Amino acid sequence: MQRSHPITTREPDEIIAHGSSGAIRVDQFLAHAVALSKQLPDRQYVINLAADRYTFLLGFCAAVIADQCTLMPPNRQQQTLQQVANEYADCYSFGGPGLNNVESLDTCDVDAPDVIDVVVPEIPADRLCAIVFTSGSTGTPTPNRKYWETLRTGSLSNVDLLTEKTVGSMNVLATVPPQHMWGFETSILLPLFSNVAVSHLMPFFPQDISDALESLPEPRALISSPVHLDAFLSANTGRIRIDRIFSATAPMSPELAKKLEGRFDARVVEVFGSSESGIIAKRNTATETLWQLATAFELDVGEDGVRIRAAHLPERVVLQDIIEIVGDHQFRWLGRHQDMVNIAGKRGSLTDLNHRLNAIPGVIDGVIFMPDENSKRLAALVVAPDLEPSDILEKLKPGIEPAFLPRPVYKVAILPRQETGKLARKIVVQLFEETKRNKALEDAGPADNST
Amino acid sequence: MQEQSEHEQEVAELIVESLNLEDISATDIEPEEPLFGDGLGLDSIDALELALAITQKYSVQLTADDANIQGVFGSLRSLSAYISEKTA
Repeated sequence: MQRSHPITTREPDEIIAHGSSGAIRVDQFLAHAVALSKQLPDRQYVINLAADRYTFLLGFCAAVIADQCTLMPPNRQQQTLQQVANEYADCYSFGGPGLNNVESLDTCDVDAPDVIDVVVPEIPADRLCAIVFTSGSTGTPTPNRKYWETLRTGSLSNVDLLTEKTVGSMNVLATVPPQHMWGFETSILLPLFSNVAVSHLMPFFPQDISDALESLPEPRALISSPVHLDAFLSANTGRIRIDRIFSATAPMSPELAKKLEGRFDARVVEVFGSSESGIIAKRNTATETLWQLATAFELDVGEDGVRIRAAHLPERVVLQDIIEIVGDHQFRWLGRHQDMVNIAGKRGSLTDLNHRLNAIPGVIDGVIFMPDENSKRLAALVVAPDLEPSDILEKLKPGIEPAFLPRPVYKVAILPRQETGKLARKIVVQLFEETKRNKALEDAGPADNST
Repeated sequence: MQEQSEHEQEVAELIVESLNLEDISATDIEPEEPLFGDGLGLDSIDALELALAITQKYSVQLTADDANIQGVFGSLRSLSAYISEKTA
């Protein structure tokens, strides 16, 4: 007999979401999702573009019930969406702006039955529920297939790792999109398997984050990233009690974690994972340096790097990070493989970016690099006597993610390559700092120009 | 190019400074050209940085509830007008 598991393990009268018109119970949600599942276009794939998190949750669950696979592109750029839509031609879009030649279902105004007595749908374990794309710097999305078994077992592991069962219900606000694996696992899947009620909002500005949190009952949790949290803290929107702050997508400094804990009376939990593996580990960054690996996962060192194994993962995943395994289910993070950069939750390859830079006509030599660990942006040094930095950026733009565009781009006379053609990172950074200083002096320029 | 008003000039300087746009000088920013996407090519990290810089300099908290925030961030002119209105 084929194995199957219910779409949710929650009790009917528990709260699963805070929508635009109030709290939504599990039975209301299920009735809505089942009704919607019967009205979806008869297609194999759906691109769920909903920005409202409850709409995304409904659309996703309706699709799972109807045996449709949700496609999650790495970003919302028209070009990327169109590329995914072309490749998975038997698709429609849900809850977002229309795409060329793609059927769209713009609303989910399906009347949910008032009398709610829904049988919880059972989902076959081997049903393909989602394809999460990782972007890379090239803009060619790589698909990661998520079967119901993978999502369910991964979620149960996350419940175990991230929620404390004694706490009772947790009211969650996320600043990260539901279409990104981090937001998907925490703000969409977690409410299906643990006592979590998620806000439909996705605030961006600090004041909006503060207001949205204020509107939620306690205890509250915030799911975010270091960039958002840093801005939130710096904007001084006032003190509000947040029980848990979960952060992922980029490394967080212990200083930021401590400040957040002080301001919001919170515990900051940093989470480690990838689109391929899902969440695998956590640490309390303010007080801990070691990562605690979830019990569902094992790490082992192979020829190609550290591999992640788990019964629910269809394939072994090789980490893009360098780590040291310390004792039982603990590890220390040492850094990323040098070629890999991570900006705004997107992964890119420096080799590829450099290849693109050097392929631009008029560029004699050039290097794109991360100036230091705390940089939010890449930088470039370029030998190109006949081009302006703006010309170079213009030429780079079409093929790559905007987040990977170097800033600043400095022109130099020559790059200090060794005889082997290698460029030592240290020397590149030195030249960069020197060029920056000279440019600052130059800009300060004639005395009458200074303020 | 259109001329920047005094206030627009000030906001333009804040943009260039807070976002490290070293290849652009404040006076180069066209008042009505888009700041994000195709114009200056700014993205969401920039939006956060810029919002923060505005909060620090003008004590204005931006919120998406303010009518048409995308319009506010649309150009130097609209952003500058928004700040003026909020600080008036």
